Amino acid sequence: MNNGDDTVKRSTEEPGAKKGYTRREMLKMSAAAGGGIALGASGLGAIMKMLGTTEAPPASSGGGAASASAANERLDFYGEHQAGIVTPQQTYMYLVGFKVTAPDRKTLVGLLRDWTRFCDLSTGGSSAVEAGGRLLPPSDSGESVDLPAARLSITFGFGPSFFSQDGQDRFGISAKAPKYLQDIPRMPKDRIDESLSGGDICIQVCAEDQQVAFHAARNLIRLSAFTASVLWMQEGFISSPPGSTPRNLFGFKDGTANSLHDSSAGYDDVVWCGDDEPSWMRGGSYLAYRKIRMLLEVWDRSSLKDQEDTFGRHKDSGAAYGRSGEFDAVSPAELPADSHVRLAKQDGAQMHRRAYSYTGGIDARTGNVDAGLLFLSYQRNPDKQFVPMLRLMSRMDKLNEYTAHIASSLFACPGGWKPGEYVGQRLLEG
Amino acid sequence: MSDSQRLNRNEQPPRRKLPFAIISSAALAAMLALSACGTEAQAPAEAAQTAPAAADAEASAGTPAPAAEAPAAESDDAATAAVREGAQKMKDETSKFQEALTAKDDAKVKQLSGSINDLWLSYENTVRDQFPLLYTEVEKYEMPIFSASAYDKMDYASLTDNAGKLQGALDNLLTAKQTSAAASEVLAQAVDGYETYVREQTDLFVKETQVFADAVKAGDIEAAKAAYPTSRTYYENIEPIAESLGDLDPKIDARLPDVESEEQWTGFHRIERALWEDGSLEGQGKYADLLMTDVKALQAKVSELKLEPEAMVAGAMELLNEAATSKITGEEETYSHTDLVDLAANVEGSKAVYFAMIPALNDGHQELADQLDKQFQTMETTLAQYNKDGQYTLYTDLKTEQIRELSDQLSQLSELMSQTAKIL
Repeated sequence: MNNGDDTVKRSTEEPGAKKGYTRREMLKMSAAAGGGIALGASGLGAIMKMLGTTEAPPASSGGGAASASAANERLDFYGEHQAGIVTPQQTYMYLVGFKVTAPDRKTLVGLLRDWTRFCDLSTGGSSAVEAGGRLLPPSDSGESVDLPAARLSITFGFGPSFFSQDGQDRFGISAKAPKYLQDIPRMPKDRIDESLSGGDICIQVCAEDQQVAFHAARNLIRLSAFTASVLWMQEGFISSPPGSTPRNLFGFKDGTANSLHDSSAGYDDVVWCGDDEPSWMRGGSYLAYRKIRMLLEVWDRSSLKDQEDTFGRHKDSGAAYGRSGEFDAVSPAELPADSHVRLAKQDGAQMHRRAYSYTGGIDARTGNVDAGLLFLSYQRNPDKQFVPMLRLMSRMDKLNEYTAHIASSLFACPGGWKPGEYVGQRLLEG
Repeated sequence: MSDSQRLNRNEQPPRRKLPFAIISSAALAAMLALSACGTEAQAPAEAAQTAPAAADAEASAGTPAPAAEAPAAESDDAATAAVREGAQKMKDETSKFQEALTAKDDAKVKQLSGSINDLWLSYENTVRDQFPLLYTEVEKYEMPIFSASAYDKMDYASLTDNAGKLQGALDNLLTAKQTSAAASEVLAQAVDGYETYVREQTDLFVKETQVFADAVKAGDIEAAKAAYPTSRTYYENIEPIAESLGDLDPKIDARLPDVESEEQWTGFHRIERALWEDGSLEGQGKYADLLMTDVKALQAKVSELKLEPEAMVAGAMELLNEAATSKITGEEETYSHTDLVDLAANVEGSKAVYFAMIPALNDGHQELADQLDKQFQTMETTLAQYNKDGQYTLYTDLKTEQIRELSDQLSQLSELMSQTAKIL
């Protein structure tokens, strides 16, 4: 089905789309069409290339630090691994949770195809704008039409309920559930708001331009109208000079330890799932998500010493106690027993951190700012690399005086997509 | 659409059609007086020529007539024969239904209303394709009959009336003949049909508002409370039309936050507050009088209404947008919390546009018509869960998940409805 013929057939269906394709790719992404169009991403890509419409700069598979030209850079949606995991962090993120309402697998596949098509276009810097006439709603909301790809990445993960919900195997995939996917157990001091947690599908959208990122999140939601129901959406930001570790809203560097596995072999050890997982999950990773409210006002009234004792690092340099450089090996004995970094080292597990800060409004009762951290970590085995550390931190971490965990989810992010394949195809059809 | 596709439509599993709310069916019963007889039905005398299909009523309904009965093997003929066969079976069942009504046999009435509906579901898609105007005609009498099966109390008078009219509609279907009309003609017909609907709804609106106003002036709180949602239903069915006609809508339907100052506040919601919040109709007589003045002014304007197809299609969208903004949030009926009544009426009003558009949609947009049909059914099924003997659950008694489900389904319906501009 994924061939050019389908594309041509489609284009003749819509009178307005006969004029030929431009960079503003004419494509019907109307949800009304549902899964009726079996156009594969490769078919579309082929057409675009054929017509010389892909003028975007060559894709980068990640690696380069954010720079002045980052706004124009295009990340490849396809590859061995999904983009947006070990990709150097973009400045803006949206994280969206969905509940699948589709009655059957066929409808679900229709949505995944529509999403794939949208991702293919938008990560390539195109818009899915269709000329449907002035009397119809535009197929794409349009706010990104004049904007570049901006290192847009769109990363998909599946939650435990996707595979089995109340004992029901809705999509016939429970036998292919990944090894370690289950809800994160309740932790001491948890203040989890269920309405902000969980879901069948999670999409992480990141870009250097917030408008580009939001455009993607918004249109992915719109495309899901007949198949899924959006449960929650979070937005985050993070910023640092190129090559530097970003700081969280407590002013401390967040993610220093990522440097420890910053190599292909390191990612294999820490991030990417291997042969012990179902084939669709190989090259994938588990996304652990915690929304952590930070009590900024309390923190800001704490002495610098208290703040540094809490982390076990110096605020300015990021160096651990007893060391002088941010990346110098930590000597746990020199850190306070309940400090964040000491507990992390004590646990010993490594994970790949990809956190973003968030801000909300003001708590009208207290005047306090609603803000904090969207903790995101990717790992190949959450049972070993995430849950034990979370438990230890929840019990002991001095940071708990200044934080509250209010959302919690675990998602299995499949290995990367091949051109022509739809998101999740190897899981649903493999 | 190809022949095989058309026939395949018969093979779709019958959709589950659930009882419609009484309020909705009242609106539906007043649905489009589409001039079905004139355009699609042959003179009864010709019916004899089509007897074979009817005579073969023992064959299972919903399957295309055997080739032997459609010698020309023309698919349209086959489909027409299938329609006649279905219509005859439905007529027979309706006759039994009428006997059960005469005998006041509740159990039998319920059972037959179900089997009439099953028969209708087995071939209604073909009817919609072939005879769209007759389709709406049958649908409007069939639905209230089926609704009755869910209610504890039977309204024999209205069921008898509907059964008689259903027989008439089925007679038309039995003698129906294919017609082909130019696209512009089809569209003009759609607008005509919809204008008729709007006028009928407006007339009913004036009538029911009079009942409400009389109760308010008589100081009868209970009667006024009972009449309030009924009269509002007719308004909510045609709201975008009312909004397009001068400044009557704010006078009739403004909520307190809509007006600059409370002194300017008139209409339904002013009296709603008196009824549900103040618990007193003291001083409300003048608002009841004003309401009747405004409502009659609306009727006068509607009688001269001449719609453009664009306005009709846009109106269907506006109705759903209304439902998806002020009704689903419970903002419309702040005091009475009868928001679901309005929401169902908005959906009903947009369905009237859909019905009027079916002939136009059949011309190349059949998939969209199928999707809309299905989505209206889904929406109605969900709404029916909140309807007990014609009374909708109060908004304040709905759980968040229930509101969300309604909202999601409304979004889906709106998404589809927004595509109907393709017929223009």
